[in-house]
Amino acid sequence: MKLHQWIKSPKGYVAISMAAYLLIASVWLHDMIGIINGLVAVSVTLAVDILCCYFERRKRIMPDGAVITGIIISLILGTNTSWFVVAATAAGSILLKHLFVHNNKPIFNPAALGLLLSILFFQTGQSWWGAFADLPSWSVIFLLIGGYLVVNRVNKYPQIFAFFGTFFILLFLMGHYKVGDAFDALRSPFINATLFFGFFMLTDPPTSPAKVKDQIIFGILTALTGAVVYGLFGGLMYLFIGLLVGNLYHFLNTRASKSVSKGARSNPKKTAYSRRLYE
Amino acid sequence: MDKKWVILCSTAVAAVYAAGYFTTETQASIVQPPLYIEENHQSNDVQPNDMPTISSQTNNSQTNNSQTNSSQTNNSQTNNSQTNSSQTNSVEPTTPIIRLYQDGTYTGLGKNRRGSIQVAVTFKNDKITDVEISKFAMHYSKRDVVGLPEEVLQIQSAQVRNVSGATYSTRAFKDAINDAMSQAQNA
Repeated sequence: MKLHQWIKSPKGYVAISMAAYLLIASVWLHDMIGIINGLVAVSVTLAVDILCCYFERRKRIMPDGAVITGIIISLILGTNTSWFVVAATAAGSILLKHLFVHNNKPIFNPAALGLLLSILFFQTGQSWWGAFADLPSWSVIFLLIGGYLVVNRVNKYPQIFAFFGTFFILLFLMGHYKVGDAFDALRSPFINATLFFGFFMLTDPPTSPAKVKDQIIFGILTALTGAVVYGLFGGLMYLFIGLLVGNLYHFLNTRASKSVSKGARSNPKKTAYSRRLYE
Repeated sequence: MDKKWVILCSTAVAAVYAAGYFTTETQASIVQPPLYIEENHQSNDVQPNDMPTISSQTNNSQTNNSQTNSSQTNNSQTNNSQTNSSQTNSVEPTTPIIRLYQDGTYTGLGKNRRGSIQVAVTFKNDKITDVEISKFAMHYSKRDVVGLPEEVLQIQSAQVRNVSGATYSTRAFKDAINDAMSQAQNA
């Protein structure tokens, strides 16, 4: 794949957006540690991904997904996080990506799973600095522009609207009935996290469905789980847990449809007979 | 997806978000004022033998600190002289004792974008004798700051070390301690 072709690909769009956010937030915050963390994370994800592909004897090694995972991790982990924790989170994400696989595709969003485990093992203070969480509110416009470009490119509008619609309705209800800290989730830095998560992590093509109906179920399920976890426990893990539940739905759905189509192929007479029965 | 549908759905999502935002506006705007608990407000004006540590240096520091402190000094001096006058004249005149902090337990609040921490700090004889995290409402783990109250007791200051990976919680904790200290100072 040539460079100009790659730039126009979904991964190209996400990688360019992430790199732009890394630069904008670093310059704005006058904090270059984020860039150093980014370099550490990307180096580790690249190295681990190439090694894993080598051991799996893959014919074609394309580590661009690993680069995106690395940048996302560095944008979410606080800039004060030690390089060791950044590297460990990055390595864990890629290893888990290669561990949980179905039809050569990762089951869970690598960055989300790695960051979730990072909270549990290292108590990382995830700040979402790369989603402009520490900058003025109007900087959200950058998220919306990048988000629109990516969602348009991967054609995930139904999923995004289902997710944001359900999540905000639930937060509205929680706010109205004063359940949990809904007012926090609707404001910076948590709204930045929600937008960044929705546009760039939820839409990951290998770990999310393509069909419209499945996209809508996926979006609703992720939002519902996330909102319930937030309402009950607060914290920072709610978006990741929501996404992992959505990923699990996608995996089970894909497996179920594959087994149905396999069954149809292995016993064509029976399938034709049963089709006649229902006709 | 058709552009018209994209615009329509975007508007609907934005409307729901706005509804949620304005519904929670009152909750978000409620700034919990640091509670002032006066548990053990002793009149510590007359304790001539109890304060060897506070000397003339305290006077200087108080003068530098604030006007409130200077008024406290005046009050304590006045009370002291009244007490002395009511007692027998044979009592030797002693140096008035000035304290930076009033005895008692004060509740301080530290807030930032990631949540809030409330602490209860107990002062006795110008020393911090107890620190307790009375409310932890950060979006991070409480384990990050669980050792900080002990550190405050050791260093007798809010300037605790930064816990690695827990900057926001540490910052809120420091602010809460400073808040409690300033209340004790101005009491």
